[in-house]
Formats: sequence, structure tokens, C-alpha cells
Amino acid sequence: MHRRRAWPWVLVIVAVFCVSQGRGNAAIPEYQVKAAFIYKFATYIRWPATTVPDATTPFVIGIIGKDPFGPALRDLVRGERVQGRVILIMRLSRLEEALRCDVLFISSSERGNLRQIFAALGGAPVLTVGDMDQFAELGGMINLITTEDHQIRFDINKNAIDRAGLKASSQLLHLARIVDESRSGGR
Amino acid sequence: MPSRSIGHQLRWLSVLGSGTALLAASLALLFFQLHEVRSSLLRRCETMADLIAFNSAAAVDFGDTEAATIILRSLKTRPEVISAGIAANGRIFALYRREQSTVRPLNLRHGPSGYSFTDQDLTVFRPISSEGRLLGTLFVQSDLSEIEETWRRFAAVTGFVAIPALLIAILISQLPQRAISRPILDLASLAASVSSEKDYSVRAPTVNSAAEIEQLVDTFNQMLFEIQRQHVEIQEAHATLEQRVADRTSELQRANRAKDRFLAGMSHELRTPLNGIIGFAEFLADGKPGPLNDKQKEYLGDILNSGRHLLHLINDLLDLVKVQAGKVELRVERFSLREGIDEVRAGVRTIAESKRIEVRIDVNPELDFVTLDRQRFKQILFNLLSNALKFTEEGGHVGINAALHGKGRFRLAVSDDGIGIRSEDIGRLFTEFEQLESGTARRFGGTGLGLALTRSLVALHGGTIDVESEFGSGSTFRVTLPFVTGEHA
Repeated sequence: MHRRRAWPWVLVIVAVFCVSQGRGNAAIPEYQVKAAFIYKFATYIRWPATTVPDATTPFVIGIIGKDPFGPALRDLVRGERVQGRVILIMRLSRLEEALRCDVLFISSSERGNLRQIFAALGGAPVLTVGDMDQFAELGGMINLITTEDHQIRFDINKNAIDRAGLKASSQLLHLARIVDESRSGGR
Repeated sequence: MPSRSIGHQLRWLSVLGSGTALLAASLALLFFQLHEVRSSLLRRCETMADLIAFNSAAAVDFGDTEAATIILRSLKTRPEVISAGIAANGRIFALYRREQSTVRPLNLRHGPSGYSFTDQDLTVFRPISSEGRLLGTLFVQSDLSEIEETWRRFAAVTGFVAIPALLIAILISQLPQRAISRPILDLASLAASVSSEKDYSVRAPTVNSAAEIEQLVDTFNQMLFEIQRQHVEIQEAHATLEQRVADRTSELQRANRAKDRFLAGMSHELRTPLNGIIGFAEFLADGKPGPLNDKQKEYLGDILNSGRHLLHLINDLLDLVKVQAGKVELRVERFSLREGIDEVRAGVRTIAESKRIEVRIDVNPELDFVTLDRQRFKQILFNLLSNALKFTEEGGHVGINAALHGKGRFRLAVSDDGIGIRSEDIGRLFTEFEQLESGTARRFGGTGLGLALTRSLVALHGGTIDVESEFGSGSTFRVTLPFVTGEHA
């Protein structure tokens, strides 16, 4: 039994308080949001303890192929840290450099080279992020998807993450559509 | 309205005591429980909020309202949660509300972390953050049905346990109360019966009660014992005293009778030889046995005077004894007061003339006949008159005044302008054998019996006597007598 009042149910007075976050997605260019996602993924993924270097080593986000972010990603991570490490944005000129990355964004321009890229990484603990159709099904770890109502969602290939020795937080997994190479699963 | 009984007061006291204790205990329990319920509710809400804030971090971080809503909806299993929501970027990011519930106004000024109790709800706030980045604020709003339930339980416990317990306490309180008040009431009624019947031999039965009551009963019995003992002692002492008084009285009466007999006998025995002495002296003085020279006449006169004085003394003494022994019977007769007075004056004429004292008589003409003992009346007046003459210097004045005094009475006043009496001596004046200053007695002579006898005779007639005197200027003796003896006005 509840005491009731005849007040309209949505009488939520929200006092203004500080939330240091970027503004909502709607009016923001797609890649700015994607840049934020890439940065945020880093906070929900745990790298294997053996490879975690000390805090002085920068956290490297590599971009392979055509950079779709422009200055957005760089602006976003300026001054931010991941696990206490300064974030460094690196555009890869050679495939071998991929092993130096913690996160590797694979541009849709590299769709044809995916097999070589994954082979070059060879199970190293590098989080691969892409935004191309079937990226996760093809062996990528996280694929960013723009929905019809311009929301950004993502698929996660959990097997690929596990294989690389990375650990995705359950919270992150909850938000994602889980897929793997063999079949395309739904949420 | 008498003061209230011990039983009544004890009952009230115990009801008050147990009631207060019960109330205090119940209230303490209530507040303790309320506090417990409140803090447990708060703890639970905080735990829920912590969990949801943690779980929803990624959803908020990635702007996934749908996922956040699903997480919030897990609160459905908690019926007390009215609503929950996540605020981010200054707007409501996700919201859950219990079916048919209202979302009450919220005030998020408490900041990202904290709680707020109102009289209707509890709202817990938690920050949502990831890697130190503050993403938003979660609030969980819970109703206070548990606290209301506590109140209801308290009411039920009070109704079904506390009030019956109080009633039982009242019933139980009757028992010792009876044990206390019953013996006291018994004692009170016993005390009342002892007081009214004066039976000090009864004892209060010993009781099995409070120590003070037993002590009271014991003390009461001791007191009764003490009273009884003293009562007996007093009665014995009283009886002894009465016996002793009776003994003493009869002893005294015997002694007094013996004295009277002795005095009467003695007086009689004394008069016989004295009469012989006086008779022969008179015989000699008459010169019958032969002529006497002047010297012999003078000495014979002295013998006669002394003898007559002694006879007078013995007569007075005999009279006094008789009067005081109640052996004098008045021979009442009707006579003229004037005549009686004149006769007495005639009796003292020789003395008066020898001292050249004028005796004036003033009798109120309304006074005529009186019915008294004529001899005794004359004796009274003679005594007063001869006293007056005795204490008046040569050439002085003595007056007799008779006047009406109230109904059926007259007053006889004998006044002189003699030496008078000191005021401190007046009290002793009528006491036998008392004479004023021996010097005076020696100078004027006197038996010391006259006034005592006079007073006794006046009293015998139902009259009174008093005296007024100024030392050096004279005295007035006033005798008040009834016209008819035995008829008092």
C-alpha cells in the first residue's frame, strides 16, 4: 500500500550539478562520438597484467589506414589518462608498429587488409576497433555501428578479445551485441 | 471526604509505577526499532544504489539509455522502491518508477552522494563514475512502508501485550497491598476497641506481612502491655492512697475528738477550782471574814481580776472547741435587736466609763426584731465591743451601727478610733491564738481567742465578718447576719 499524492508523476526537479562529460550525441558529428567511444573502451577493458608497463609509458591509441577523426580524437584525449598513463595518438605507417599499440583503430579503408593486420597482431593484447560492416565477425574485437536514428552502438567479438588475453568488463558486454566469427548472433 | 486509604494509594502507586515503566520501555523499544528500521532501510537503499551506480556506469558512459533503464528496472524486485533514475548532463538519462507510483519531487542539491529523509520517502544519491570521471548521478527513492509497519506493530504490541500486562500488574499489585493494608486496618480497629472499652489485656495477633507492619504490631503490643502495667499500677496506687487517706482521716478525726474531749474536760476541770478561787476571793473582798487593809484589798482585787480573766479565757476556749466540733446548738428566739445591743452596752459600761470612752449606738429604725440565738448574738457583739474598747485610748469613741444590708440581712458595724490594725495583720486576725504584735497584747491584754470564736459564731448563724482598718486611725468590724437564722437571702 502506498500513500499517494495527486501530483503528476514526472515531477523530477533536477538541480544542476557538475557532470564533466561531453554533451549528448545528437548534435555531435559521428566521429567525435566514435572518438569518445574509443577512448572510453579503454576504461572497460583490462589488459593482461604481464604487459602492463609502468605509468610513465604512454597509452598508445593507434590508427591504421585513413584517419576519419581529424583532430577530434586528439582533442578529446588531450590531458586525459588511461590507468594513469598519458594517451598518445599514433598514426601507423607500418604494420609492425601495430604491436606497440594498446588500442588499434582499423579504418574502413583497411577492410581489404584485415587478414594481414590480424595476422601481424597474432594474438597480442591489442584492442582492435573498427567501424565497418562485419568487422567483428571478421575477427575484429569491437565494431562501431551507426544506427538509423544516428545512435552509436557496438558489436563485440568476445572470443577475439579473450584470445588476445584481454578482459572486457561485463558492463561493457551488456551494452554490446556479442558476435563471433562463425555466425552472426543477436543480442 | 476522608483521606484515601493505604490500599488505594498503594494501588495507584503501583499502577503509576508499572505504567510508567511499561510506557518508558515501550517507547524505548519503539524508538530503538524505528532507528533500526530506518538505518537498515538506509543501508539497503545505499547498497542497491551502490550496485546500480556501478553497473550502470558503462551504459551512462556510452549513452545507452535503454541499457541503463534495464539496469534500473532490476529494482522491480524491491517493492519499497518508488522510483530510481539517472541524471546526466543536466537531464534525466534513465528513469524507473514503480507501477502506479508517483515520482515525488526530488531535490538533487544533496550533490552526487548522500541521502535525504522526508516524512514520506527516503532518497539515496550516488555518483556514477568510471576511472575517476563523474558520469552522472543516480537516485533511488524508497517509500517508508517499513517504518509505517513498525508503527503498526508497535500499536499492535501495545494493544495486545502492554495493556494486558498493565492490567495483570494491577491485579498482582493487589496482593501485597492487601497484605499491608489488612493488618493496619485490623490494628486500627483493635486500637479503637481498646480505646473505647479500656480493655488493655487484648493483644494484636502477629501477622505475616512486611517487616514494618510486623514491627508496628509488635510495638503496638508493647505499648498495650506498658499501658496495662501502668493502668494496674495506677489503680493500685489509687487504692492505696484512698486507704491511706481514709486511715489518716479517721486518725485525725480520732485525734481531734480526743483533743476536743480533752479540752472540754480540761476546761471543766479548770473551772471548778477557779470558781473556788474566785468565790473565796469575792468572799474575802466583801470583808465578811474580817476587815482588810488597803494593801490586802488591792491584792485581792488583782486576784479577782486575774481569776475572772482566766475564767473568761477558759469559757472562750470551751466555746470555740464546742463550735468547731459542731457541738453548739443555737437556741433561736425572737428578740428586739435594740434591746440586745443595749444589754451588751450595759455589760461594758464600767470599762467604758473607766476609760471615758463614749459608746454611740445608731440602729436603723426599720430594724426591729430578729430571730437569732440571743446569747450568742450578745457574745458576738460583746467580743467586738470589748475589743474596740480595749484598743481605744482613753477619751476615744466607739460606735455601734446597725443597718439593713440586702434582702433579709442586716449589718452590725462596730467602729473605733483606736490604734487600728496593720494591713498585713488583717489576714491572721481571725485565727485562734494569734495576737497582733506581742507588744500590743501585753499592753491591752486579750486571750487571742475572741475573734476566732466570734467568727465561728457568725458563721454558725450563716453570716459573714470582715474588718476595715487604718493603722493608727481605728478599725471597723462589720458583721452581716440574717434576720432569721437559717433563712438565707
